[in-house]
Amino acid sequence: MDGSGSGGEASNLPRVAAKLKARTLPSKRKARRAWAVVAIVVASIGFLLYKGLGNSLVYFRTAAGAWNDRAQLGTSTFRLEGVVVPGSIHTTSGGVDFAVESSNVSVEVHDTANPPQLFQPNIPVVLVGHFSGSIFQSTQIMVKHSSNYIAAHPNRVATVNGKKL
Amino acid sequence: MESKGYRWSRRAVGFVALLLVAATVVLGLWITPPDIVQGQLVRLIYVHPPVAWVAYLAYGVTSIGSVLYLWKRTRNLKWDLLAASSAEVGVIFTGLTLITGSIWGRPAWGVWWTWDARLTTTALLFVLYLGYLALRRVPADSHQRAVRSAIAGLIAFIDVPIVHQSVVWWRTLHQSATVLNATLSPKIHGEMAMTLLLGFIAFTFVYVWMLMHRYQIADMEQSVLDIELEQLIEERQREPESYSDQAVLTQDVDQIDQPSKV
Repeated sequence: MDGSGSGGEASNLPRVAAKLKARTLPSKRKARRAWAVVAIVVASIGFLLYKGLGNSLVYFRTAAGAWNDRAQLGTSTFRLEGVVVPGSIHTTSGGVDFAVESSNVSVEVHDTANPPQLFQPNIPVVLVGHFSGSIFQSTQIMVKHSSNYIAAHPNRVATVNGKKL
Repeated sequence: MESKGYRWSRRAVGFVALLLVAATVVLGLWITPPDIVQGQLVRLIYVHPPVAWVAYLAYGVTSIGSVLYLWKRTRNLKWDLLAASSAEVGVIFTGLTLITGSIWGRPAWGVWWTWDARLTTTALLFVLYLGYLALRRVPADSHQRAVRSAIAGLIAFIDVPIVHQSVVWWRTLHQSATVLNATLSPKIHGEMAMTLLLGFIAFTFVYVWMLMHRYQIADMEQSVLDIELEQLIEERQREPESYSDQAVLTQDVDQIDQPSKV
């Protein structure tokens, strides 16, 4: 095509090209950006799988299991699970002492962190820490409450003619 | 365009959702009793499990839409739009699940977050569907995008039963299911159970309302794309010579790229 010959079409070309450029280049940029986001998401999935496989599958050891394996565990840090033994909780200047139990095996615990608000006797807890001799030195208490929900005051509803509503 | 019936049904669903959420709030905050162990913290149960359920439901709808698109006998772009719309709403509800769980976890467990199987697989679910949405943003023609999204959506859905069963398969800090447990016997007291059920219904209505809105927007976006495509074709038909000479055209584009030389 001779640019000088067909003046109208030739003058149109840059305009059309600019239109095309406007349509194609942002699209390419958009594609690159979108693929970058996909790559970030894939990396995030990889990270979560790594964390999941590393921490989640054996999230805690039961008190009984850990007590039996304590020679093997040494002073390594791990999570220990058990039910807080009633009457064993004693607040000390450096934290709180108590015992946890599972499968009739009781483990003495010395905790240096602030217990969460639901910490109480008979509640399952997961502790982060390590054995020091026969005592488990805990640096974190997590309460593992049950999936049962029971009304705190089931009889608070008024009665009519002596019968509960 | 949006039909009158669709608009009215969407408004009706929205109105019912609003009423049910309001009833859940009133019952959950003022009428139901505190829990014997958790005290007032239990009130989050009327929000957290329902939003998690809605996330499962949303991804279920995404999977159904994906299958219907992939199956040639039912292939229609509306299934792809439905799948995408539902996934978007699902991501919002998964985000809400993580946030409400974290808010509940801090006072109840003592931590905002922990890497147990339930929390990790839920976070994974969130990221998987974010990936699904990101994949949809990669430029492609409608069919190509729909196929690749449908496959991605179905792969991501594998995580849903894993999330639900994680508390059964692995040791977790998260408690086991209260309602959707193995025996399907809710372990929750009467009026608390009723309010929880109401919460499930209320948030399901919220989901349906949001889905209807999002689907409508997706449909309109698709219409705009179709119109743009038609305009582009018409433009090309009007200026055939300008486009046919690719060499000159490329040269022109190159010239535009270069700074002008004096």
